[in-house]
Amino acid sequence: MKRACQTIIALCLPLLFCSPAMAQHSGPYVGASLGVNALMNAKTSDNLGDFNLTFNPALQGSAVIGWDFEPGNPAGEGRVELEYSRRSNQLDQVKFVEGSFNGGGSVTADGLLLNFFGVFHGGNRLSPYAGFGIGAARIKTSDLNVNGYPLSNDSAVVFAYQLGGGVDFALTDHLNLDLGYRFFSSIRPKFNEVNGHTFEMDYINHSAVLGLRVGF
Amino acid sequence: MVNLLWSGFFTVLLLSGCGWDGTPTRNNDFTPLTSIEIVAVSPTIAVSHTIAAGTSTTLSVKGNYSGMFTRDITDQAVWSSDSPAVATASQDRVTGHVHGTAALTATVGSVSATFKLTVSPATITALTITPAAPTIAKGLSTHFAVNGTFTDLTAQDLTFDAAWTSSAPNVATVSNDAGSKGFAQAIAAGTATISATFDDVSATALLTVTEPVLKSIALSPANPTFLTLSTGSFKATGTYSDGSTPDITSLVAWSSSNTGIATVIASGGTATATTLKQGTTTISASLDGISGTTSLKTTGGNLTGITVSPAVVTLVKDTNRNITATGTFSNGSTRDITGAVQWTVADTSLATVTTPGGNLAWVKPLAVTLVPTLITATSGSLSSNASLTVIAPQLMSITISPTSLDLTAGTSAPLTVNATFSDGTIQDVTNLSVWTSNDSTKATVAAGGLGTERVTGVTAGSTTISATYGGKTVPSPAAVTVRTRTLQNLTISGSFNVAAGNQVSFTATASYGDGTTVDVTKDMSTIWTIDKLYVAILTDSQNWPGQILGVDGGSATLKVSFGGKTQTATVTVTGP
Repeated sequence: MKRACQTIIALCLPLLFCSPAMAQHSGPYVGASLGVNALMNAKTSDNLGDFNLTFNPALQGSAVIGWDFEPGNPAGEGRVELEYSRRSNQLDQVKFVEGSFNGGGSVTADGLLLNFFGVFHGGNRLSPYAGFGIGAARIKTSDLNVNGYPLSNDSAVVFAYQLGGGVDFALTDHLNLDLGYRFFSSIRPKFNEVNGHTFEMDYINHSAVLGLRVGF
Repeated sequence: MVNLLWSGFFTVLLLSGCGWDGTPTRNNDFTPLTSIEIVAVSPTIAVSHTIAAGTSTTLSVKGNYSGMFTRDITDQAVWSSDSPAVATASQDRVTGHVHGTAALTATVGSVSATFKLTVSPATITALTITPAAPTIAKGLSTHFAVNGTFTDLTAQDLTFDAAWTSSAPNVATVSNDAGSKGFAQAIAAGTATISATFDDVSATALLTVTEPVLKSIALSPANPTFLTLSTGSFKATGTYSDGSTPDITSLVAWSSSNTGIATVIASGGTATATTLKQGTTTISASLDGISGTTSLKTTGGNLTGITVSPAVVTLVKDTNRNITATGTFSNGSTRDITGAVQWTVADTSLATVTTPGGNLAWVKPLAVTLVPTLITATSGSLSSNASLTVIAPQLMSITISPTSLDLTAGTSAPLTVNATFSDGTIQDVTNLSVWTSNDSTKATVAAGGLGTERVTGVTAGSTTISATYGGKTVPSPAAVTVRTRTLQNLTISGSFNVAAGNQVSFTATASYGDGTTVDVTKDMSTIWTIDKLYVAILTDSQNWPGQILGVDGGSATLKVSFGGKTQTATVTVTGP
């Protein structure tokens, strides 16, 4: 999992050094994106101790509706958007004191965030951007199990946030291609275990996304 | 630049968000327990499943979880016996009561297992304690075990079932508590007979307790910082097996890992480190194979030059004066190193140089010089000279200055006596004069730092201070008027920023109710302290009160106390 994390970092960091871009669309827009995400090893804690959940990377998708501020806007150059995203990762391994065991089931996060991105417009069609988002996520443990024996099947709604950056490529005045990176996390959700205990788990997710936005 | 800031931010973020890699502390109880196994802890009982009547042993329960792993779950088992009169079991032990057999069942959740135990009618014939004659130091402990031999020639560990006693509880105790049977604690040097008794059969072991042994050495100060060409003390504290922590500074062998940076020598119960160059060395103290270490950092630069002042000295025979060596260091700092250099005189029949302590050196001429002789200050390979000429003119007169003083009671001021000789030479003979106060209830006179003489106001009134030197008395004594004033405030002034290796002087000023202000920096009742000696130190409290030396980067609090008032100031040191 660390290798996947490092790969995403290596792929996305160069985006921050892209050259400035020309002025772009202003006004409302809608968009959608698809990408890959890596849910990091999760420290999971209940009143009996800590154990570790390891997940498989998976696809993710999101849809946005937002507003591009016009260049020179005193509030800053960038965009504000409402984003719905979905990430679902299969449980791969569960590590206890006795060792690692095969896991099953999945953890799914449905996020609804209000994003604020600052855009660095320049003189060409590439526009680097960076920003953050805050909101809520419904995180669900779907039939989590250890070697087929049930662990949890529950859900929780928690505060969530993300940090992101990337680069927009203006295909036309109203059409943008977006290659970006997102760091998505939340406060630790609490879930019921099948044995009656309650556990908290980390939710830290890295993703690389490719999106398309249409402006009006 | 903006992109660089963003990239740094994201890098920190990402590195902190790469998941948990810690060690789990939770057991897997999601995988079902499918079977359990009862095992006797004693290997012989594990085979024979037999214990003697009146004895006990320990059984453990090992759980098998769906064939994936096993775990000791003895503490979760609930025990039962089909023949409680023959044997009973609990989480801790199984006890045989009378001859017979019993099926002992352990249940964890819905899973059970049975251990068939035979209780034999055998009786004890002999006991053997191990170890038979151990020696331990005061404060340490050892665990005795006792093994029983029975009439059926079987052997069984009876450590739990035996009764333990010590013949000398003041030397060593032995426990009869269920959780620590046979556990002996050494109390004091001596010997004690440890006995174990079972069914009227006993065995003994001789326990010898020696004086406590050293377990560790701690050095203080821990990881200090000293200036180059300075000295500092270390203390070694030993922790012994009995928990005592005596000062063992004079007992340990001291060493420095880099004697080019600092050396350390023990003498008279004190270990003194002398720093030579800037760097880091490890100071070690060893005793009986045990060592304690601390890191010593030296700051303030390396000495690059020495300047002696005055460079040309002319002194009248049988007088004296102080001489100073100032060091120039590689970090650009300069400081007084009078007390750190070695002073020599080319012709020792003509003069001597004495160093009474601190940054003070006195030149005392012994004989008239035909040609000037050299006074040399040396540190390592560097040295500097001053030329000394000794003359012997006739003393003509002495004068005191100032001729009048207006003092606040409780404060002091310096007085000076100058002698005029037949060749016109005028020389300060303050510290060689005999001083008297006409009324010591009003003002007293005593030696101050650097060979000065200070008169201190005692109570309101007037008096005179006189001085005598070489058979002559000052023609006009100093008139001293002492007034009583109420101290209102105390302030510190000076430069509060200093570079490591440099010295800076502060002034303490007392303000009185009538608006009078008095410099009390050098008053004998003024006390200067500084709290972080690895940041800054007082240069020389005796001769240079109020002067500090920057040691290492940081902030320290300088405090001055006078007349019941205290004032503090924060001193910031940059460097090294």
